[in-house]
Amino acid sequence: MNRTSLYDFHAANGKVVEFAGYDMPIWYSSISEEHLAVRNHVGIFDVSHMGRVVVAGAGATQFLEGLVPTASSSQPVGKSFYTLLLNPAGGIIDDIIIIKRPDDYLLVVNAANKAKDLEHIRSLPGSSAVSIQDITDDTTMIAVQGPEAIQALQPLSTVDLSQIKRFTHTRSRVGKSDATITRTGYTGEDGFEIILYDSGVRNSSLAASIWGDLATRATPCGLGARDSLRIEAGLPLYGSDIDETTNPFEAELSWVISKGKTGYVGDGAIARYGATPPQRLRRGIVMADKIPRHGFVITDPADRRIGEVTSGTFSPLLRKGIAMGYIDAPDSQLGGTVQVVVRGSPSQGKIIKPPFYDETMYGWKRTR
Amino acid sequence: MTDPYTIPADLLYTKEHEWTRLEGSTARVGITEYAAKTLNDVVYLSLPSPGANLRQYASFGTIESIKAVSELYSPLSGTVKRLNTELQTRPELVNQSPYGDGWIVEIDASNLADEKTKLLSPDQYAEFLATLGK
Repeated sequence: MNRTSLYDFHAANGKVVEFAGYDMPIWYSSISEEHLAVRNHVGIFDVSHMGRVVVAGAGATQFLEGLVPTASSSQPVGKSFYTLLLNPAGGIIDDIIIIKRPDDYLLVVNAANKAKDLEHIRSLPGSSAVSIQDITDDTTMIAVQGPEAIQALQPLSTVDLSQIKRFTHTRSRVGKSDATITRTGYTGEDGFEIILYDSGVRNSSLAASIWGDLATRATPCGLGARDSLRIEAGLPLYGSDIDETTNPFEAELSWVISKGKTGYVGDGAIARYGATPPQRLRRGIVMADKIPRHGFVITDPADRRIGEVTSGTFSPLLRKGIAMGYIDAPDSQLGGTVQVVVRGSPSQGKIIKPPFYDETMYGWKRTR
Repeated sequence: MTDPYTIPADLLYTKEHEWTRLEGSTARVGITEYAAKTLNDVVYLSLPSPGANLRQYASFGTIESIKAVSELYSPLSGTVKRLNTELQTRPELVNQSPYGDGWIVEIDASNLADEKTKLLSPDQYAEFLATLGK
C-alpha cells in the first residue's frame, strides 16, 4: 500500500482506509463537522495521492494541443485550468488540472487513473519529443479550502495571497519549502492547493511540519468530507459520475472544449457529439426524504425509468439527501419532479442544476 | 485511532454490533459504540412500524451515515413495541450516546429463553472485537 508524506498524522489522528492504492484518512472526527468547517471556516486536505506529472520540453505546448480539447497555447502562463483527457470515441479518460508554469506544464490527475493516464500520454505521437516525469512521490500536495483559506495559509507565505486570482497560481515558498500555490480546489469553496517540491514520501518532515502548522488554524478533513463537499458543489467524481462511456456534453463539461479546436484525441467524436443534442444530461436531485446512493434508479412520477444516480449522499449543509445522476434529456427539465428508487421504494425528488447551495451564501462566488 | 470501545457489562451483543438490554420480556436494542464510531455521523434510520414482526438475526431496517448504508439485525425475535422517535429529528444521538439516548427500538421478545443463549456476553463481544482488524 502506498502512503503519502503525511501518513503518520493520519494514522495517529484519523480513520485510515485504502483509496486508489493509498492509505488515506476517511475522517478524523466527524464527516459533518469537517464538511461544515470548510463551508463556514477553513479545512485542510492531504491530496498528495493525486498524480503529479510534468510535461516539459520545447514541444510541450504543441504536444498538449494534441492531448486535450482545451487550447493550451492560448492559456497564459500562470493559469491553472481544468480539462479532460479523451479517448478516440470522445469518452472521458480522466478529468485533470493543468498548471501552466513558465517553462513547462504540471498535470494533476486522479490517483486511480495515474497509470492509465501515463500510458495514454506516452502512446501519443510526439511523446518521445517531450519529457514526461511523474513527480508524485517526490512532492506533497495539500488543499486549503474555505472562506478563511487566506487567513490559514498567509502566515506561511510571503506573497499576498489575496492577489492570486481564482484558477491562477504562483511559485513561491510555503514555510521552508519551494512551492506552487494555486487558487483551485474541489470543494466549491475558495481556497488554495499547494504543491511542496522539497518534501515527499522519502523526506516527509518538512511537509509534516507545514501540515502541523496549518492544522493549528484549519480543520484537518478526510476523504469523506471531500466527497460530500464536491457532491454539494456539483463537481463530478471520475469513476462515479464520469468515465470512458460518458461524453463531455452529457456530463455538462463541454465548456472545456475550445471552440473550433481540432487536432486532439477525440476531436472527430467531439464534433459529432456537438452537432446533436445529448440524449441524457448530468443533473442534481434534491430529495424530500431518504438518501440516494450510487446506482439507484431514477423514474418519472409514473414509475418509468429515466435515469440513474451516479453520486449520492446526505448534505450536511441542507440536511437532506442529494444526488447527481444522468437523466434522459426530455425528462431532465430543471424543477421537474422525479423519484429515486431507494431499496425498492420510490422517493420524491426535484431536479436542480448544481451546486446544491445558495451561491450568494456559500462557495467561492459568495457575496456575503 | 486506538481508543478502546465501551462495552457495558449489563447488555448482550451480536456479531453485527447490536446490543440489547433485557427488562422482563422487553428488549431495548441499539448499536454498539464500535458500530457508531465505524459508521461515523448517523444521519438517517429506516425502521419498521410498531407491531411489526422481527426474527432473530434477520434484517429489520437500515441505518445510514453520510457515506454508507448498513443493515440493522434484530438480536431477538418478537414484535416492535416502540421506536425511539427522537431519532427522526436527532439521528446524531446514536453517535453521541449509543447505549443511552441513541437506543433504536424496543421489542416484545417472543422466544427469549432459547434465543438469549445465542447472544454474546460482554466478554465474548470484547473478544470478537479484538479479532477484527483496525
